[in-house]
Amino acid sequence: MDFQSCVNIQKEWDIVGARQLGRDISRKIGFGTVDQARIATAISELARNIYLYAGTGKVCFETLEDMNKKGIRIVAMDEGPGIQDISQVMEDGFTTSGGLGAGLPGVKRLMDEFDIISHVGEGTEIKVVKWLR
Amino acid sequence: MSTLKLDLENYKELLQEYITTKDEQALYQAEQFSKHSMQQNISPEEIINVHIQSLQEIYPDMPEYIQTSMNFLLETMISYGLAYQEYQTLREKQLELKSEISVAANMQKTLLSTVKPDIDELDVGALSVPAKQMNGDYHHFVHDNKGGLGIAVADVIGKGVPAALCMSMIKYSMDSFSEMQTDPSVILGSLNRVVERNVDASMFITMFYGLYNNNNHTFTYASAGHEPGFYYHKDKDEFEEIDAPGLVLGVSPEITYTQYEKQVEKGDMIVLLTDGVTECRTGDRFIEQEEVLHVIKQYSHLPAQGIVDQVYKHFERLQDFHLRDDFTLIILRRNV
Amino acid sequence: MNLSIDVTKNDGVANVMLGGEVDAFTAPQLKETLLPLTKEQDVVEVNLQDVNYMDSTGLGVFISALKATKEHDSTLRLIHMQDRVYRLFKITGLTEIMNIDSTVQGGM
Repeated sequence: MDFQSCVNIQKEWDIVGARQLGRDISRKIGFGTVDQARIATAISELARNIYLYAGTGKVCFETLEDMNKKGIRIVAMDEGPGIQDISQVMEDGFTTSGGLGAGLPGVKRLMDEFDIISHVGEGTEIKVVKWLR
Repeated sequence: MSTLKLDLENYKELLQEYITTKDEQALYQAEQFSKHSMQQNISPEEIINVHIQSLQEIYPDMPEYIQTSMNFLLETMISYGLAYQEYQTLREKQLELKSEISVAANMQKTLLSTVKPDIDELDVGALSVPAKQMNGDYHHFVHDNKGGLGIAVADVIGKGVPAALCMSMIKYSMDSFSEMQTDPSVILGSLNRVVERNVDASMFITMFYGLYNNNNHTFTYASAGHEPGFYYHKDKDEFEEIDAPGLVLGVSPEITYTQYEKQVEKGDMIVLLTDGVTECRTGDRFIEQEEVLHVIKQYSHLPAQGIVDQVYKHFERLQDFHLRDDFTLIILRRNV
Repeated sequence: MNLSIDVTKNDGVANVMLGGEVDAFTAPQLKETLLPLTKEQDVVEVNLQDVNYMDSTGLGVFISALKATKEHDSTLRLIHMQDRVYRLFKITGLTEIMNIDSTVQGGM
């Protein structure tokens, strides 16, 4: 896949970098303040998951242009331990980070499309899309 | 989205009105607006966004720092919005669970239902009320083919769903026992092996099993660690504890239960209960056995079912109409 | 409704001092303490002198602890039980199969 831009996640500070880049791209696409904030929050969650559970990974951005709609795709990739039970982490009320994070269900709510592939011992890839309305 | 657009106009007008009049009326309408928004699942950041847009329209020359600070506020509200949505989903799930449990409770009722015997020789009163939706207490009447009436009273440790599941297992095992074999000690022995094999180490069940012989009016019984019942001597107007030592079901596989026998005279009563009756707590105080017996005596002129109902009413009131444990009480009285 | 649990270990013997109430809320906490002790110690002695209430969930914890001692070849001993608590062990027949110190403390 060819991405316009990626941010490597290695330290907590990189989460901010990912948010910033994601916000800039969303603004260029034409997202309003509320959606920009939502996209930034989703990026935070994805990047923090990488930082907390995989150690390192990256968050990539792609501008989507269809015939009649525009949007942003964000892909978070890591080669961490992977997720054993995806249904469980997608369940509301299940947060491993002490209940403060919005968790993956939160990310799903903030975005329009959500897809996750994970293999134990190999890593996790989460793809999300937000469309401009 | 279209309803929100409509509301933007509405919100802007309200805001403008309030800014000029500082009138309570506008605040009341703001409250209505917020309730309406919740009904429409509108999250807090969207309301702040509406506020920002309204401000921009009312004050086109709004200083930039206000605009920026409002965006800052919007950003901080995103997580609150998510938490709120999660709460909504969990609430729906909770309702779903509740209705599932009530279906299960009904199934349990059907499964564990027992018919109170109607025999000339014996006046029988029975009541079992769960503290929560599912009952961890169990009582059952069985007629055998030799003119005997078997009575089982049991209590599973704990309350709620796990206790109820365990009780269903007991009921199934009891149904599978031969109708010929009604000796209390044999029945408890067989159940003990079933429970020992099939339940968690910290789970146990207490059971009292009695067999009333309608021909010669003897009461044969054995107990597996169950709360002792009482025997009422009509002639002496006195209660006596029905002492039948025995280990609770499910602790040790190699255990035999001793069987006892009692001759029942006319007007005498047998009172069987679960510890929900004697372990009732009122505030910091426990209800003592004497109190239970006192209430039974007080209503002893009533038919057995009447006594049972009155005792329940008494303890329900003592506990502020909020049972802490399942309550089961059975009274048998020899008529003729 | 609280339960305090103090454990002192000495030469294969664990002394567990309990205080308060053992009920459905506090039983899991007691179980978490007691079960590992039956595995790592030879003797687990539980002092119940300050336990003024126990319900059937509490009994369940001691039953599973007893079963665990059989599995790990250790010993469980209950001492200084109050009247009300002792009654519960007596009714359920557990006094017959458990090592319970018979010098019962006066209730209240």
